[in-house]
Amino acid sequence: MSKDFDICVIGSGAGGGPVALSLAEAGYSVLVLEKGPWFKEEDFSKDELACCRRSTYTPNLQDERHVLEQSDGEGGWEALSTFDSGWDFWNGNCVGGATNFMSGYFHRMKPDDFRLLSTFGAVEGANLVDWPIAYEDLEPWYDLVERRVGVSGRIVAHPHQEPRSSTGFPFPPTVEHPIAGWIDRACDELGYHAFPVPRAILPTDALARRGCAYTNYCGSYGCSTGAKGSSRAALLDQAVLTGRCEIRPQSMVRRLASDARGRVTFVEYMDSKGTVERLDAQVYVVACQAIETARLLLLSPGPKHPSGLANNHGQVGRNLLFSAGGSGTGELPYDKLSSDQAELLKVRGLFVNRALQDWYQYQHPDSGKQRKGGTVEFLFRHANAISRANAQKWDDGELVWGKPLKDRIHAYFTQARYLRFEVFNDWTPVDDCFVSLDPAERDKWGLPVARIRLGYHPRDLDVGRFLSRKGAQVLEKLGAERVRWGVSGSPPQNLVAGGCRFGTDPATSVLDPDCRAHDVDNLYVTDGSFMPTGGSVPYTWTIYANAFRVAERIAATLGSPPKGDSDPLDRQSKESS
Amino acid sequence: MKRREFLSSVSLVLAASPLTPSAHASDHVTSGGSSLDREQWTCIEAIQDHLLPSEPGAPGSRDITATAYLDRALADPKFDPEVKEFIFNGIGWLQEIAGQEEDRLFHLVEPDRREDLLQQIARSEAGKRWLSTLVTYTLEALLADPLYGGNPDGIGWKWLSHDPGRPRPTPDKLYGRLGRT
Repeated sequence: MSKDFDICVIGSGAGGGPVALSLAEAGYSVLVLEKGPWFKEEDFSKDELACCRRSTYTPNLQDERHVLEQSDGEGGWEALSTFDSGWDFWNGNCVGGATNFMSGYFHRMKPDDFRLLSTFGAVEGANLVDWPIAYEDLEPWYDLVERRVGVSGRIVAHPHQEPRSSTGFPFPPTVEHPIAGWIDRACDELGYHAFPVPRAILPTDALARRGCAYTNYCGSYGCSTGAKGSSRAALLDQAVLTGRCEIRPQSMVRRLASDARGRVTFVEYMDSKGTVERLDAQVYVVACQAIETARLLLLSPGPKHPSGLANNHGQVGRNLLFSAGGSGTGELPYDKLSSDQAELLKVRGLFVNRALQDWYQYQHPDSGKQRKGGTVEFLFRHANAISRANAQKWDDGELVWGKPLKDRIHAYFTQARYLRFEVFNDWTPVDDCFVSLDPAERDKWGLPVARIRLGYHPRDLDVGRFLSRKGAQVLEKLGAERVRWGVSGSPPQNLVAGGCRFGTDPATSVLDPDCRAHDVDNLYVTDGSFMPTGGSVPYTWTIYANAFRVAERIAATLGSPPKGDSDPLDRQSKESS
Repeated sequence: MKRREFLSSVSLVLAASPLTPSAHASDHVTSGGSSLDREQWTCIEAIQDHLLPSEPGAPGSRDITATAYLDRALADPKFDPEVKEFIFNGIGWLQEIAGQEEDRLFHLVEPDRREDLLQQIARSEAGKRWLSTLVTYTLEALLADPLYGGNPDGIGWKWLSHDPGRPRPTPDKLYGRLGRT
């Protein structure tokens, strides 16, 4: 029976882009439905207002919101909508999704991340499991991402360097700020092993994209050169060039219909005018980022799936993950440095690119047991001027204005530079971190919004504090003053995964090891939802790699495309080698 | 802080005040774009002037056209109507305290007495949040791209030796226009 498309991909971020590109290159017809608009490179500028202070790339909270449940401290949960709290839980809603706005810190997960339970043992109150695949299964796809998305870096041996099939990165590191050398020296003296952070940023023109312009505004901003390896710039633009991939922006999918056999029969979406459209495909791929993916499945009951698509075991939305950890800051006052050093420190636009993984596993000081640790990443405080100035209006909870405010702002901008660290450690999966449909709040289309319970495991804070002390120690060694750090269970909404675990047991997982729904054989999920545990690194590289892996599995089930092209992945690897 | 608490406290304070609420906020005369009437405009200008005073070599709210910036921000159709009302209500509240304490409108009060009135406002959590909101928009006027109506010729960036990065937005790519197909 003829279908409108071979593959319909819902969502165009890190989970959607690799599938669209791989399958379009393999000769299949691909449709990508993206809820948000399609910004191009020329739309992105260093406009702090548009970027970071208004809802430009994310929905207006009056129209679309989440409901967040947080512990009330007495064993209960307090629910509040993000419209009411002002805590915006959206990430990029546009073609390319949140990858447009990432900083592109690219770390692979490590072999033991794929077998947390068997390596470190069970943790009380945690739903730890091993992955159904091993690092070795994903390694070739991590490698492919380096070449296709464009990962720049330099290999330096350190105690937890993961095995690699290629000797080095295909692109040299982005140009580094002098402070990278200072961090290296401080870490050397402390006996730590700082290493250059791989970045999904092209240092110079390559892959039919322009290289980095080094203008000091990267994370949170859309890239105006295409150097950042967003799903849009690195993958979807290429997919469209095949002539077999169509992207429909401003197309909000409201449900996946399914039949008595449980197979998806069509997708229903609203276009920019609010008109309801339907279309069908042989295979449906959901990649709306973890929270919205779970929401869409829950919004899609069918005759064989009365509680939501692929949810017959009540697993959809469960074991949601964020990234645990914390952050710290230290001041490097110019007047404590030689004038040459101060001038070097003032240089803008170059990359710090340093991290520590010495404690990716560590021996717990009290128990003596080996424990999972994480990553400490170093970076300058973001250059955003309004947010930095506005932070100066508070002095110990008191509002400052007038000349004292001006003096504080002027000193903040001109007398020091601020070096930060961020800690990434595992968000231990727990029962109290999950997505459901809110019974009351609806979005502008009348659909129930996602309700997210934000419980966490207390161990995450303990690990975060252990790592933060190490980060703070490095800042102090560098001569930083007023070093402060904080760790909390408050999740970063931009680092989200889980909710549709992959596994071998349909009773405890939503997806099989190929990321196909256990009981819906034409439905795949390729965003971060599949991850049963998340590792102690940002997720994007792993999501990209896995989505490329799943695309190959999808192609294998579809049989030969109408016009049998050669394997696009092989073709590309020759081009970029 | 819940939104309702954040935004409704001013009216709660007003309700508890012995004086009747000001009618200023309901008498809107459209100005440059939003709905600041002339008296509100003058009052806001005086407050912003106090929050970020002009000094030689260090721009203040007048130099960065902070009130015109705020007026334009308030005119954004997506601007949260409740925050807008909160800002307007606060003006009424300040005028009432100015009337009570000084027997005149805020902008006619002597500059050194203005500080006392703002300090008085800041003693309540609601008043502090209201002033903080005005500081935020004043600092946006200091450091946002000049195309938004503040920071003329990048005067705020120059004062702070701040490099705003490139490319700069163009008039057709400003917030509010982006993403409209």
